[in-house]
Amino acid sequence: MSLTHLNSRGEAHMVDVADKTETRREAVASGRIHMRPQTLALLAEGGMPKGDVLATARIAGIQAAKRTSELIPLCHALALSKVSVDFTLNEADASVDVTATCRLNGRTGVEMEALTAVSVACLTLYDMCKAVDKDMSIEGIQLLSKTGGKSGDYQRSLNVKRPAGASSMQPDATSENAVVSKNGLLDIAPIVTGKCFEGSVSVALGEERNCISVKCLAELRERLGVSDINVPFTALLEPTIGGLKSALEQQDKRFALLREQRILCAVNQVMSAEDTLLTAGDEVAFFPPVTGG
Amino acid sequence: MIKVQTQPFDVGEEHRALLAGRTDVGAVVCFTGLVRDFNESPEVQGLSLEHYSGMTEQALADIVREAERRWTLQGVRLIHRVGHLEPGDPIVLVAVASAHRRNAFEACDFIMDYLKTRAPFWKKEHTTKGHYWVSERNSDKQDAKRWEVS
Repeated sequence: MSLTHLNSRGEAHMVDVADKTETRREAVASGRIHMRPQTLALLAEGGMPKGDVLATARIAGIQAAKRTSELIPLCHALALSKVSVDFTLNEADASVDVTATCRLNGRTGVEMEALTAVSVACLTLYDMCKAVDKDMSIEGIQLLSKTGGKSGDYQRSLNVKRPAGASSMQPDATSENAVVSKNGLLDIAPIVTGKCFEGSVSVALGEERNCISVKCLAELRERLGVSDINVPFTALLEPTIGGLKSALEQQDKRFALLREQRILCAVNQVMSAEDTLLTAGDEVAFFPPVTGG
Repeated sequence: MIKVQTQPFDVGEEHRALLAGRTDVGAVVCFTGLVRDFNESPEVQGLSLEHYSGMTEQALADIVREAERRWTLQGVRLIHRVGHLEPGDPIVLVAVASAHRRNAFEACDFIMDYLKTRAPFWKKEHTTKGHYWVSERNSDKQDAKRWEVS
């Protein structure tokens, strides 16, 4: 294996990509920022002196992805078709997970863009919160997956167990130490949604028409670390809620959670059952029993 | 009138609005739900209320429509707050007007029982010891069951 950014004399050079064929490229990167529990609580409540922390960090990450070529010397300037930056708040270990997805149809990979988005989103989180907490640390910035291109697909091994991203602390009436994570360990790598649009041009409307748009709400969202995911309608073996659960589980085994008896579901915002029929373009929400009033 | 909002509401104002310009109402029952400072844990410092925008309004409208089908009512005002709330804050208001008190009492009770079990709201409590999602109560399910027609 050789380093593509060095020429035969060992000098840095930019790879000529003019003759490479255009393929659909996607990369997902993640990172994490640890903070004091009080800082996280303040962040969650929107009590930071500089304002809406996550919205600002998201825009910063997206902007950074677009400007990667200005920061990393030998990177090409790319016309990204999609950049998304998402956050998961982990109350169990007082941290925020940042995940960035970049996509384009082009001749070079987009992992540097995804990694830059995560880095700058983390730095912005630091900047937005540093007035109340200077001990924050940024760590684990890494590529989770990349697809497309000559070098082939890459998927970081999911075997590494990290502390639960789920925040569902279950109060235990019999113990003084009521703060216990309900699920123990949970994989918190983000779920790659790229499969949905393989080979298609990233025009939002076209994508959504052929997909089931799935939402995970409240406690379920935090346990899964996923709020929205598109599932191609063709991935469903049968066009029902049951079929959708199977397709999701196929994509990531964490979705087995949806099989829990207590998890409810709504199709196009109407309460539904396991055998409710689905059509492409439907919105399906999964959520725990309601606790309003 | 159904509203999902982050701002507080004024019970007196809603009560007056329900009666504005009419003299055919014989009874108004107003229920206000408040944030307690103790629940599954003591020392609740606040709570966040999440909802499924779109479905929430639809579900609340269905519940009110069902109440109006079962009882003769002359007006219903239903307000549910979302977002961050602190102990003592009002969360929910159900105000029901009817010609006679029995209808108003029962319809108000019914609306709250159905709201508790059918409207997509979720509470997350913040305590001195951490945060957790409030779990559903079996008693709420039993309460809602009372209204099932055989």
